[in-house]
Parts: sequence; structure tokens; C-alpha cells
Amino acid sequence: MPAEPEIAGKAAGKWRGRVARVLFLLALGILWESLSRAGVWNELIFPAPGAVIRSLADGIGDGSLPRAVGASMVRLGIGYSISLLIGIPAGMLLGRLRLLDDTVGSLAVGLQALPSICWLPLAVLWFGLSESAMQFVIIMGSLMAITLTVRDGVKTIPTLYLRAAPILGATGWRFYRYVLFPASFPSVMTGAKLGWTFAWRSLMAAELLYVTTGIGSTLMMGRELHDMPLVIAAMIAIIVIGLITDRLVFRLGEDFVHRRWGVG
Amino acid sequence: MAVVELKKVAKVFASQAGRLTVLVDIDLEVADGEFLCVVGPSGCGKSTLLNLIAGFERPSSGEIVVNGQPVTGPSPSRFVIFQEPALFPWLNVYQNVVFGLRMAGVDPSEQQDKAHALLKAVHLSKFAQAWVTEISGGMKQRVAIARALAMDPDILLMDEPFAALDAQTRDMLHEVLEEVYQQTSKTIVFVTHNVREAVRLGSRVILMSGQEGRIIEQFPVHLPRNRYLEDVEVVTIASRIRDKLRQEVLRSSGEEGEHAG
Ligand SMILES: Nc1ncnc2c1ncn2[C@@H]1O[C@H](COP(=O)(O)OP(=O)(O)OP(=O)(O)O)[C@@H](O)[C@H]1O
Ligand SMILES: [Mg+2]
Repeated sequence: MPAEPEIAGKAAGKWRGRVARVLFLLALGILWESLSRAGVWNELIFPAPGAVIRSLADGIGDGSLPRAVGASMVRLGIGYSISLLIGIPAGMLLGRLRLLDDTVGSLAVGLQALPSICWLPLAVLWFGLSESAMQFVIIMGSLMAITLTVRDGVKTIPTLYLRAAPILGATGWRFYRYVLFPASFPSVMTGAKLGWTFAWRSLMAAELLYVTTGIGSTLMMGRELHDMPLVIAAMIAIIVIGLITDRLVFRLGEDFVHRRWGVG
Repeated sequence: MAVVELKKVAKVFASQAGRLTVLVDIDLEVADGEFLCVVGPSGCGKSTLLNLIAGFERPSSGEIVVNGQPVTGPSPSRFVIFQEPALFPWLNVYQNVVFGLRMAGVDPSEQQDKAHALLKAVHLSKFAQAWVTEISGGMKQRVAIARALAMDPDILLMDEPFAALDAQTRDMLHEVLEEVYQQTSKTIVFVTHNVREAVRLGSRVILMSGQEGRIIEQFPVHLPRNRYLEDVEVVTIASRIRDKLRQEVLRSSGEEGEHAG
């Protein structure tokens, strides 16, 4: 079969990429280790890889790291879910209703210019030093991105689908549920991914400024205790969480969109 | 009895370049069970005419009445088959065919029976579970036809549905359409570039003019049905219409030359 060498070539390329990546990380680790052995910088501000790994292991062993990650994820999960629940329908309505887009839509565009952490002072005044304040910041950070991405997606749905809908009897809520939502699914995916990134960054910013449980606070605590290995361990944990959600959640969604819609 | 009636219909599009008059004074009646074919130079307003009957566009003046009711918007009783199949890529072939039935709340076992019969009629039973991105253009158009027939519309509006297909697929779909027409005697309005296709299928062919968007001539086709594109009678009538059409194309491009010069 002529297709086989092509597929085999792709698989080999994938493996070569993976091996290269591992070797690169290894080299980076060795460079790091040798720099810290050379003693150019004080160990207090430039810890050795071993110390960071020990700090990671300790954190996992005594459960403090998973607990912090868990607290952050719960917070993020709630705030992000609310953003999705509001943002997706809102984006679909804005994409369809001109008047709403001219009013609420332009407000959303304006609000998106404001970095979400700027909402923290207001949130603390309104909700006190509470979970609600943090969630408010997450929502304000991700809601506009989700809404506006879905809106833009809805506006570019092919006219053919919109014309096919009413003659197939998809009118009223059925139009939104069975045509508009699936037709805009690729942009819902993009919006969800973008929203997740914004939500995650907003949360980290909020946790750094406002001491509570959570992985961002672990990072801050490390600074206060001058525990550099803990700081770097927390940073690594944050990177790993980001990569896992990107690879496992969004990559799967994007592959699905690509297969079915042939785009994305 | 006229199922579709257009009374003094005009359509003017307003664009940045100014006002574009596409249709003027269109008076047209389509009888119950008639197979009306519409031919005319490119850009003369054939799709616009179809979109007006479908209810996707509103006439600038005049009135369109279908079954005694003025047209106010699109409806499943006037089903459109577009040049491009307009299938939903998030559904598979089977789900596309039953989509309209699902919207109408038809009972699932009836949906299944209907879909299987229709997929068989368009020779696609084996592809019921295939995704839209996995089938060819001709197969997509066949699914679109099955989807339209599932809705059992009073009127089928077809806008150059076979223009992008190869000759074999087109012949096969002519036969499918012929069979449907004879069994259900639906009213069909069929737009095409292909004059011979119009004569092979239509019980009447109308010719539209290129410039002022009028119906300039009508050709009844009194041939027995089950015709072939190659039939001598089909070819004869088609060449008569084609001569007129050619004059029309020349005339409209001539006028353009005058405007330019
Ligand atoms: N929505 C619209 N807005 C402005 N102008 C339009 C619109 N739709 C069609 N037109 C114009 O109306 C004229 C007729 O278009 P129409 O699509 O009906 O032609 P047609 O006869 O179907 O042509 P073809 O055979 O090439 O499909 C064209 O000049 C086109 O540019
Ligand atoms: Mg057209």
C-alpha cells in the first residue's frame, strides 16, 4: 500500500521529536546542576536540581502540594465552569442579535482590555476576603474571551447551514440547540481553551496577591520563607498542570473538531 | 390550480455600488405537480427567484403566494436543495437524513424506516454511518436529496443541484428524481445552466433574460416522461432554447460593451 511509508514516516518523525525533547530537557538539567555545583550564585537564590526534586517529593509526600493543587483546581473549576455556562450562550446570542452585540458586545470588548487582576480590589470590597472574590476574578478574566470568541465563530457560520435550518424545521430554541451550537462548536472549543488560559492566569495572579490555600499561595509562601526549592517546585507543578490540561483536555477536543468539521 | 403564484414581483438589491435591479415584473404561476425548469444567463436572477419562493429573501414589490398563503419566510413545505449539499458535518449520513424528522418529533421507528428506504433509493445504504467529510461530492448531494425527500415537502426548489457532478452521477440522480416525481407528483422548480437537463426533466422550461431580469419565453415540453439526455426530441427542443439563450447572452454582453464604451 502506498499509504504505509507515509504513516511510518510520520510515526518515526513523532518519535524523533519525543527523543529530542527528552534529550534537550536532560541537557538543561545537566547545565543547571553544573552551574549550581560551580557555586557561581548563592544556593539560597539558585538552588540545585536535587534540592528542588527533594522539595517536590516532600510536598507530595506530606500531601501539602496535592492539597494546594486541589484547592486551586476546585476554585478554578467552579469559576471556569460559570464562565463557560454564561459565556457560550452569551456568545451565541451576541452573534445572532445585532442590537445585543452593539450594546453588550461592545461592553465585553471594553472589559476585555482590563487585565483581570485589576478586578481584585473591587472583588475584595464586594465579597470580602473570600472564595467568592477569587472566583469573581477568574470569571472576569475568562468570561469575555469565551463570549467574544464564540460570538465571532457564530458570525462566520456558513449561510448554507443557517438557510438549511428553518426548512428542516429547526426554529426557535431548536435552532440554537441543534444547529447553531453544533455549527459553532469549533469556535466554542477555541473559546474554551482561551478561556481556560485566562482563568488559570487570573487565578495564579489572585492567589499570589491574596494569601490563601492553593498553589499560587505555595509559591508566595516559598518566597516569604526564603525557600527557593519550594518556589521552583511550585512553578514546576504549575507548568505540569498547564501541560496536562492542554494535552489531555483541549488536544482531544481539537482533534475531534478537526476530524469532524475538517477545520481547526 | 396554481400552487405557486408570483404577481408583479421585483427584486432590487441595495449595495455600496448602488441599487441593483435583478428581477422586474415577474408574473409566474406554477401548477400543482408541474416540473418547472428555469434557465437563463449567469447572474440573471435565477437563484434570487428561487430564494424568493423559498422565503429566504423578500420581494421589493409584488407578492408571492403559495397554496393561497402569502410567503412570509422559509418553511419545510418548500424545501430547497442547494448547489452545495449543505449537510451538517457534525452528523453522520443517517443523522442528516432524519434531522428534519427529529425536529418534527416523528417517532424514532418511523424515522428509521423512512431513512432506510430513502438511503436505499439514492443507493447509499452502506454509507449510513459514514461522516459527511468521508464521502464524495456526488454522495453528499444524494444525501441532500434523501434529506429533502424525508421532509416530504409540497414543493421542491432545486438550485443547480447537479452542476458540480460528473455525468454518470448526474444521470443516476436524474433517474432518482424522475422516479420521485412520478411517484409523488410533487411540484418542482428546478434551476439549471444546462438546457438539455431542463428539457430532460421539465414539463415546462422558462427562459430568463440577462439584463432586465424578466421571463422572456416559455417552452412547454410535451414529451412522454422517462426521457434521456440523448433523445432526439430532447436535443431538438434544447437546441431551440439554446439558440434563444445564446442570443440573450450575446445581447446582454453587447449591452455591457456599450456601457463600457
Ligand atoms: N444578497 C445580495 N446582495 C446584492 N446583490 C445580490 C445578492 N444576491 C444576488 N445578488 C446579485 O443579483 C444578481 C443575480 O444573482 P443570482 O444569484 O440570482 O444569479 P443567478 O441567475 O443564479 O446566476 P448563476 O447562474 O451564476 O447562479 C447578481 O448580479 C448578483 O450579484
Ligand atoms: Mg445561481
